[in-house]
Amino acid sequence: MNGYAASLCLAGALLSSAAAQVTYQDLLKADPANWLTYSGSYNSQRHSLLKQINTANARALVPKWIYHVPGAGRLESVPLVVDGVMYLSQPNEVFALDGRTGRLIWQHRREPAMRRGPNRGVAVLGNRVYYTTPDAYLVALDARTGSLLWQSKIAEAKEGYWAPAAPLVLNRKIITGVAPGDYGMNGLLAAFDASTGERLWRWNAIPRPGEPGGDTWAGDSWKTAGGDTWLTGSYDPELNVIYWGIGNPAPDFNGDLRKGDNLYTECMVALDADTGKMKWYFQFTPHDLLDWDAVEIPVLVDAEYQGRRRKLLIQANRNGFYYVLDRVTGQFLHGTPFVHSVNWAKGLTPEGRPILVPGVEPSLQGTKVCPSTSGATNWMSPAYNPDTGLFYVAALEGCGINTKSYEEFRPGGFPFDATGYIESPQEPRQLYVRALELTTGKLVWEFKQIGSRAYGAGLLSTAGGLIFAGCDQGIFTALDARSGKPLWHFNTGQAISASPMTYSFKGRQYVAVEAGSNVIVFGLFEDSEESTFGRTQ
Amino acid sequence: MRFQAIQCAVAGALFVSALLAQRNAGPASEANPLGHDPQAVAQGHELYNHNCTVCHGLNGAAGDRGPALGAGRSHVIRTDKALFEAIQNGIPGTAMPPFSLPATDIWKVVAYIRSLRATASDAFVPGDAARGEQIFWGQGRCGNCHMIRGRGGISGPDLSNVGGERTLESIRDSLTKPKQPIPGGYQPVEVVTADGRRLSGIAKNDNNFSLQLLDSHDRLQLFTAGELRQVLYAKQSLMPSNYDRVLKPSEFQDLLAFLSRQVVHKVERRRRSEEDDEQ
Ligand code: HEC
Ligand code: HEC
Repeated sequence: MNGYAASLCLAGALLSSAAAQVTYQDLLKADPANWLTYSGSYNSQRHSLLKQINTANARALVPKWIYHVPGAGRLESVPLVVDGVMYLSQPNEVFALDGRTGRLIWQHRREPAMRRGPNRGVAVLGNRVYYTTPDAYLVALDARTGSLLWQSKIAEAKEGYWAPAAPLVLNRKIITGVAPGDYGMNGLLAAFDASTGERLWRWNAIPRPGEPGGDTWAGDSWKTAGGDTWLTGSYDPELNVIYWGIGNPAPDFNGDLRKGDNLYTECMVALDADTGKMKWYFQFTPHDLLDWDAVEIPVLVDAEYQGRRRKLLIQANRNGFYYVLDRVTGQFLHGTPFVHSVNWAKGLTPEGRPILVPGVEPSLQGTKVCPSTSGATNWMSPAYNPDTGLFYVAALEGCGINTKSYEEFRPGGFPFDATGYIESPQEPRQLYVRALELTTGKLVWEFKQIGSRAYGAGLLSTAGGLIFAGCDQGIFTALDARSGKPLWHFNTGQAISASPMTYSFKGRQYVAVEAGSNVIVFGLFEDSEESTFGRTQ
Repeated sequence: MRFQAIQCAVAGALFVSALLAQRNAGPASEANPLGHDPQAVAQGHELYNHNCTVCHGLNGAAGDRGPALGAGRSHVIRTDKALFEAIQNGIPGTAMPPFSLPATDIWKVVAYIRSLRATASDAFVPGDAARGEQIFWGQGRCGNCHMIRGRGGISGPDLSNVGGERTLESIRDSLTKPKQPIPGGYQPVEVVTADGRRLSGIAKNDNNFSLQLLDSHDRLQLFTAGELRQVLYAKQSLMPSNYDRVLKPSEFQDLLAFLSRQVVHKVERRRRSEEDDEQ
């Protein structure tokens, strides 16, 4: 048989090009069968409309498959699913898996394999998968094969930058952030053309002297100022505005040389998606001394607020307060603690500025600060369920002991913390899932993760009336969204520090969570006969 | 590119005697002044067996305590100079120790490691690479099935780094001999679905219970066993194996020259703490 002729016919057939896989319209619509962005939809509510798995049958959840990521330490990404194909990442690596069986379709590994982590996930548009790397590149892969298409530098790795966050895909644009502010690297957001990788705009998180906000940094302190962007933001397509939380100032624990409010660290910023120009900012923790990055996911909700329908932005901040902002203007509407252990501020002014308790700041001998530097919450994504009107957050009670020192900035990517903290032995961390009333932040129920004294997982809300939560004990739990009552749990055997997600394919709903070095996918038990293929060799 | 490298090697050879005198000075040239000299390779092999096998294993296969220096791994350290430096200075922060060998001995070990790796890109393949490129995208139709640096088709493997991964022999074989068995992930199949549809493509993966198909329209299609009535495995790969006959010898040589130069230049590796950074 003539292989050449036969193959060429096939090659012809292979040439016909496929329709683009994921369109901007798909991203806007956020079809619940797919999970197309880090936070599930542009508003970052992490609420899926799927309800095949619900409060009545959650107890019939069983594991469907496990994919072990070779060499993974602790996965912290959110997998995406497009028409049954799951895209999973860890630093420098992306995997495409069959979402029903966990079978590998392709695997991409990028050299150099600098194993800096975590990587928090990929983004998809068209037939491309995008992710960012430990050496601060944005990389585009062919979604069907994992072939490298192009890579664009976000920031200079030699200076110390890297990029852990899942990119945010808009219409023909990819938005990326950087880390680490803790090394004194100044934060930025950069937009790239989704097809060519060309940089479209760049927004600097730290203003220079003479620019608005430049006077909030004493002396030269703005040069090594932090303010990084290590989680993914949200997007309001109507306003064409992106919302992004900005990280801590540097050095983290000593503010002596950076007197001032230190804009735009510890802020929520609203940027025009086309130009990167800032529309407004709101600063949660001016002149932060406790490493309370304000990067936590901004959740966009349109809701009645004091008799008026408003476009709201909600953030449960690492500093212990729950904030309600008007996302059109940036106006502060409401703020209240969502953890009991808050000792650094007596409350917030009508403008939302913390009323400080004097002396609660790092000292040479150590000062007790609540919440601890780990934060009242952290990268663990919150969720909002429009049916219950409740905001769900993984909350950490606890205090830390913070010390300070004097430290010189060293260029090239070295810690610039000016010392640090320990968790207070007397008030160790305790993880909860808390349900808060959307506009007041009032506690409606809580679920204590007994035994969990560390960061946990983010949350997933579903129209089936469920909240999925995980903890460092490796327990994955389904809670009743209205009452907080546990309905089902599974011991995954490894700490869970990623946020769960859900999808459906060919009529079946699945829930996926990364636990340690595995991704585990659950679905309802099916009492069906096993079948294998009829094959012809 | 290659021309320069060859000139470098020739020029470098003139400095060998100078190098001999300079014990432990850094490498004086980018490329190995000993080139690919078989005698240097043989002596390098001896030095290697003497100094390196405890960790790296025999013949550059992976040892217990160090990575494989030969095949089987995508190497981070690629240039002669970087290899020289890794051996002379060790790799800080890892178990790779520095060696105070004379510079020529280090170069011999470098020559040996290169010979182990000896991918097509190390083989100085003669031919007109520019014309080879035209054949690749043109009459060879390689680009219908293969991607190079983001351009091309997806039914065959990405060839962006084929010169850095494959030996010249194996590239030549790919173009002239059908591979048996057909490499995993490239098995052409035809399936008949339970509802009677017929689809063809490539099995990216399969087992008793499921099949992941890249169909003939370049779409991923996922099936469980119950959804397929029949799976027919083709006996031959999509990769044509008669290029030595359909191309003129000079065209074939130019194509090889082009393929052997397909190397992805790795961004320089930086070492830093390997622990996860929690923010
Ligand atoms: C004590 C154990 C040990 C000995 C002896 C040793 N090596 Fe290594 N070597 C290592 C380890 C471990 C690494 C991997 C370092 C890393 O993590 O990248 C390494 C890495 C290397 C690399 C880099 C590989 C790459 O491409 O990333 C080279 C080249 C190398 N060794 C050459 C040699 C040579 C030549 C010798 C003998 C002259 C030698 N080594 C002896 C442990 C050793
Ligand atoms: C009809 C599609 C098709 C065409 C046309 C085609 N190839 Fe291939 N090629 C494949 C497939 C599929 C494989 C993998 C399976 C195999 O090796 O049999 C492959 C394998 C290869 C390999 C081995 C790669 C590796 O990493 O193992 C090389 C080299 C290669 N092709 C080069 C070429 C060149 C050069 C041309 C044009 C002269 C060409 N191919 C044309 C489909 C094609």
